[in-house]
Amino acid sequence: MHRRRALVLFVNSVVALIGGGLSVILGAFALRPSKAPEGRWVRAGLLTDLTPNVPVARVLAVSRQDGWYRERARETVFLVWDGKRTVHALSATCTHLGCQVRWDAKGSKFRCPCHGGVFDAQGNVVEGPPPRPLDRVEARLDAAGVVVAVRL
Amino acid sequence: MKRVFDWLQSRTGFRGARHALLDEPIPPGTGWFFTLGSVLLALLGVQLLTGAFLTLYYAPTPDHAYDSIRFIISTVAGRLVRGLHHYGASFLVVVVVLHMVRVVAFGSYKPPREATWLSGLLLFGLILAFSLTGYLLPWDQRAYWATVVTINISRLTPVGGDLVAGLLQGGASIGALTLTRWYALHVIFLPAALVGLVVLHLVLMRRHGISGPVRPRPGDPAPFYPWQAARDTAVIAAVLVALAAFAWDGAPPLEGPADPSDSSYIPRPEWYFLGLFQLLKYFPGRWEVVGAIVLPGLVAGLLVLLPWLDRSPSREPRRRPLVIGGFTLGLGAVVALTALGWRDRPQATASPQVWTLREIGGRMLAQSAGCARCHSAEGIADPLEASSSRGPEWLTGHVEDPEMIAPGLREPPSAPGEREVAAIVAYVRRLSRQSYPGFAAQTEAAATVYARYCVGCHVIDGEGGTDGPDLSRIGAKHDVKYLERLIADPEAVNPDAEMPSFDSRLTDSELNAIAAFLASRK
Repeated sequence: MHRRRALVLFVNSVVALIGGGLSVILGAFALRPSKAPEGRWVRAGLLTDLTPNVPVARVLAVSRQDGWYRERARETVFLVWDGKRTVHALSATCTHLGCQVRWDAKGSKFRCPCHGGVFDAQGNVVEGPPPRPLDRVEARLDAAGVVVAVRL
Repeated sequence: MKRVFDWLQSRTGFRGARHALLDEPIPPGTGWFFTLGSVLLALLGVQLLTGAFLTLYYAPTPDHAYDSIRFIISTVAGRLVRGLHHYGASFLVVVVVLHMVRVVAFGSYKPPREATWLSGLLLFGLILAFSLTGYLLPWDQRAYWATVVTINISRLTPVGGDLVAGLLQGGASIGALTLTRWYALHVIFLPAALVGLVVLHLVLMRRHGISGPVRPRPGDPAPFYPWQAARDTAVIAAVLVALAAFAWDGAPPLEGPADPSDSSYIPRPEWYFLGLFQLLKYFPGRWEVVGAIVLPGLVAGLLVLLPWLDRSPSREPRRRPLVIGGFTLGLGAVVALTALGWRDRPQATASPQVWTLREIGGRMLAQSAGCARCHSAEGIADPLEASSSRGPEWLTGHVEDPEMIAPGLREPPSAPGEREVAAIVAYVRRLSRQSYPGFAAQTEAAATVYARYCVGCHVIDGEGGTDGPDLSRIGAKHDVKYLERLIADPEAVNPDAEMPSFDSRLTDSELNAIAAFLASRK
């Protein structure tokens, strides 16, 4: 009977080892860590096309690596010039549930078509359910102060 | 704990299932040779698991299959999983053959186990079908060309060959429809058939019991678990460790993306089809059907009929000289053909790891053509490394006229010449597989000259035109000074030379670089 118990122990532990080893390999394979894509500067427009404190929508094409797939995403960004040396860029994605906001030129507000979220020209929440201001996108002027580039 | 199991027992009766699965009586004297079936079961389990997990990332389209495999093998775990799946297939074929040898040697196919034998043969066929369909999926050169050959062989089927080939091919040519079809076969149809047949095989095995040793030994049968199970486990562990070592050590090959226009590629099947591949060489022309269909069919037919051809009740190998002899002969022939096929395999002209001169030159030309103005991390187009899945036609079109394919460019670079385009395309295609390792400045300068001019008429390392002599070893014949004079003004050195003069086309440093490079080729 000693022999039987030793064999049971042997079979069970080897089977557990094999199962464990396979699980580790396959688990690591399935839980592949995904890197957030590194931002990339994209030309967004000329300063001469902007009016102070009036957001201007720009649709920017950006290509992102999504696993093995090279995705060509289009993203809307609002450029807001303060009239001097600074340009802000705001993401058009509403911080509530992700709909795309529009600029209402008459009321000077961003309005979200989904649940009534309203933001001012700086992206701050004025009304409705959004939990935080519109997301800022990194933006810069080039050395000559003409070309606006944003980091997507 | 015991109460939980007792409750589970009262609701599911799982102990009965465990008893039925594990306590099978094993006749005394059943030894190590009878572990091979369990090894196969374990290997099939590994294939099923790794295969299922590979589908998490694999994309069965010609545009993406290759990239998705590259993505899979970009991590250690991915390389391991693909390695286990790839080498697991080879292990399966070897163990299936060993299992069959055991069954024939022990006469286990004899009544009442004929049906078990037949289901085993079908399983063998299924496993080969798995290999064949799985081979295409990476969509690299090997995959593509092996499939071209397979489908053309299937065309030789005497009746309805075109129908069979059409069924395998899916579309008008080998492409997207073939890939999805073989993918579906590989991951849905064949596994379903396999699981069903394995269950049938096991049920039949249990129904008649293990055949056991040729001469029954005295004593009582012992339960499978843990007595025979311990032997099974030991062998399975050894085999899996070997498989893991293969997967860990040698990444399965992934060649360049499939390229139907590449006439220099020499297709070769996976090793276990090399025997068949070799057999075809002995039956040229209209006799090909003999090697491709008739002989393999005959062998399969003999195997199917084996239980009825060998009617003597004895399982003793010595009492069945005809069967044992015939089987040994057949197996020997297969092994010999495989070995011959292995020896006959064409030697690759240039190792795929080595950058060719034209590819190096292509990099230099791409730099001077201003590709990086757009193709850079900050540019409006993807970096050159990212264009891997583009076919050669697309790349050629784009390099010749960037604006045609990517309209809206303000300053399209000047159009390079035909040979320069070819070199840039070669460079970009190489870059999709391998990052640029860097070469000596002189090699780069020489490569540029070679890719722009010499490649038109001269071969170096198996690449280039054949109007002029092969320059791969020209340094053994001539030194730098001679080569410089020859390239600058061929007629001054040899009045009959047909080569044009390059004095006015090359700068002094270019002339010196190419001459020095050629002189170093010995």
